Amino acid sequence: MVPASSAMEAKAEAAPGMTFAEMLKANQSMVFSLAYHLLRDRGAAEEVAQDVFLRLFRKIDDLESEKHATFWLRRVTSHRCIDYVRKRGSRFTIALEDTAEPSIAGEPGDPLLNRRLRQLIAALPEKPRMVMVLRYQEDLTPEEISSVLEMPVRTVKSHLHRSLAILREKIERSMGEIR
Amino acid sequence: MEDFERQLRNALARKEQPPSFEAEVFAAIAAGASSRRSFWRWEAVAASALMAAAFWAQHEHAIRDRAAGEAAKSRLQLALKITVTELSKIQQTVRTSTEE
Repeated sequence: MVPASSAMEAKAEAAPGMTFAEMLKANQSMVFSLAYHLLRDRGAAEEVAQDVFLRLFRKIDDLESEKHATFWLRRVTSHRCIDYVRKRGSRFTIALEDTAEPSIAGEPGDPLLNRRLRQLIAALPEKPRMVMVLRYQEDLTPEEISSVLEMPVRTVKSHLHRSLAILREKIERSMGEIR
Repeated sequence: MEDFERQLRNALARKEQPPSFEAEVFAAIAAGASSRRSFWRWEAVAASALMAAAFWAQHEHAIRDRAAGEAAKSRLQLALKITVTELSKIQQTVRTSTEE
């Protein structure tokens, strides 16, 4: 690892009790996974996650607690991913069947079903997709998602309801095709 | 419904970031800091160049003003010389006619 510079050390106690290095260690999987589930592209997810931590490094003095830092990271990652998708526009289309997935040792549940679900989630428009990822990756309540995405709670619930109905229908159809 | 939600949680479980991720973040921070430092260095060089150019322009302007002043002075001196010569001639003519 690259040694921390004196500037990095100066940021040691910005958010009470945690250094930047500790925050990075504690949150890198969360930030990377949010970006990965949103973008479905490992390189793009790394790029966005790295940018989010660079922003955290510059912003760290303003963050009041670990909880605040986590909230801030979720918000910035979500917005950066949405921006990324919009900037790339039509060029950012991935052949989902071809996407190489990061391997997860001991992934819970049925790996094939998990993969199919991820593909279906990736096909949702970016905002409902973000809502689904925050709900099922991060286990956030609709109220928490509403404050992360700066979106009314009613809209969050409506995205969840509609996305679940779409996914359920598509997964049942896929199962029917398999049978 | 609960079963379907559990399946979704499984599908969207957190992924592991690449092993080099942490090191890359620190490297990007270090690179950002050094590029900011070099930006300030270039900015200082550019400011010095601008100041030197402004000083040079002012100096050139002063030289041109001085040369113009010198030329005007010479022209005035010449005119005065001509006037004195002419006056001497007139004075000589008047003196000659008075003696006669």
